[in-house]
Amino acid sequence: MNTSQPNNPKPGLVKNLLVLAVIGLLAALTLTGVHQLTEQRIVDETQRRALASLQQVLPPEAYNNALIDDYFTARIAGLSGAATIYRARFDGTPVAILADVVTDQGYSGDIRLLIAVDVSGQVRSVRILDHRETPGLGDKIERERSEWITQFAKRSLGDPPRAAWESDQRQGAFDTLSSATITSSAVIRAIRDVLVWYQNEQDEIYALRSEAGDGQIEAKDGRE
Amino acid sequence: MTHNHPTIWRNGLWDNNPGVVQLLGLCPLLAVTNSAINGIGLGLATLLVLVLSNLAVSATRRWLQPEIRIPIFVLIIASLVTVVDLLMQAWLAELSQTLGIFIPLIVTNCTILARAEAFASRQPMARSLSDGLAQGLGFALVLIALGAGRELLGQGTLMADAHLLLGDWAQSLELRLLPADWGLLLAVLPPGAFIGLGLLVALHQRIQRSQQPMNENPADGSSQAIDAT
Repeated sequence: MNTSQPNNPKPGLVKNLLVLAVIGLLAALTLTGVHQLTEQRIVDETQRRALASLQQVLPPEAYNNALIDDYFTARIAGLSGAATIYRARFDGTPVAILADVVTDQGYSGDIRLLIAVDVSGQVRSVRILDHRETPGLGDKIERERSEWITQFAKRSLGDPPRAAWESDQRQGAFDTLSSATITSSAVIRAIRDVLVWYQNEQDEIYALRSEAGDGQIEAKDGRE
Repeated sequence: MTHNHPTIWRNGLWDNNPGVVQLLGLCPLLAVTNSAINGIGLGLATLLVLVLSNLAVSATRRWLQPEIRIPIFVLIIASLVTVVDLLMQAWLAELSQTLGIFIPLIVTNCTILARAEAFASRQPMARSLSDGLAQGLGFALVLIALGAGRELLGQGTLMADAHLLLGDWAQSLELRLLPADWGLLLAVLPPGAFIGLGLLVALHQRIQRSQQPMNENPADGSSQAIDAT
């Protein structure tokens, strides 16, 4: 039979709970404090990084609108997820779009690209924002590692013709990174898909209202 | 076993090194060490968490009953890691981008829990501080050695991207020791991490044994590893 302390909780239980509660409270207070301290800076940092990557494809003197706030999202045929399209204007005149897109055709996982397309439909510049391609082979798509990504500047859907927007290992017109045909091809096709989308939608692109959700347009399905 | 400060340092840096003797925290150790600067970044972050957690555990050790000590350790370590993660996102944004998930994952590094349990919960704060510094530094040194070795073999450079950690002036720290088209792919890929760590462990054992007299028990090194757990 249970004789000792029939109604009392175990000695030490209350104390243990108290210790847990106090340490938990201290931890919560510390975290709240640090969160308050860092919140604004983290937001600023994220914003600064986004702007810095936009400036890689379009120099700041080419436009004078608030580029980072002048965007909409769209679905582009051939690319995965929703693309973010930034619009650069100079005194209100359209200059270029910057398409932040993701292709899932890479060798290992998604490749995220930032593609600047002139108002005339010419590629201005392309940069890779994020990827997990093989180090030493596929990662030469990064501008820091090779010149490969610069070959698209000033090219457009007529130059070369649309069907030739492929890697030269696959009968296309563009250089292929050695031992990284899949990676190269994924990047080339992503650029082509953006150009095709631009060609189909160019009349509406600069007229759409800014901000996500307001200006959704679906890419037309007329591929070939 | 005595716990004076010289012994604590010797244990952390060499005899009972968390990386090559205790083999703790292998996930971050293997995953981020593809460059020296990544090794330094994660090493410093881990060191900071380890020191703070040792201090916090040692300071509260009087109130920690055996039943609640593990939840408390976890609570303390998780909070500290979150603090370090937030601070890095705010002030070392680029590096925190590069190290990605491995900063939050410091929380799963068993070195930290092991030191809390085996050392800090039984020792005064000054010694716990020493132990945190020594073990953290020992871990960081392994990260850096492995990172530097893999970077050198894989890309032919040392300290590439140092500006992520140290600011723009550090771009000049990059040393190119092998030609630009050099690249031993294997070194940068995950197998390179395992092979590299294996070599470091072997090197450590070789030096350890050559220092011991022939007639001594060869299992001496591992007995100290057991002592810590």
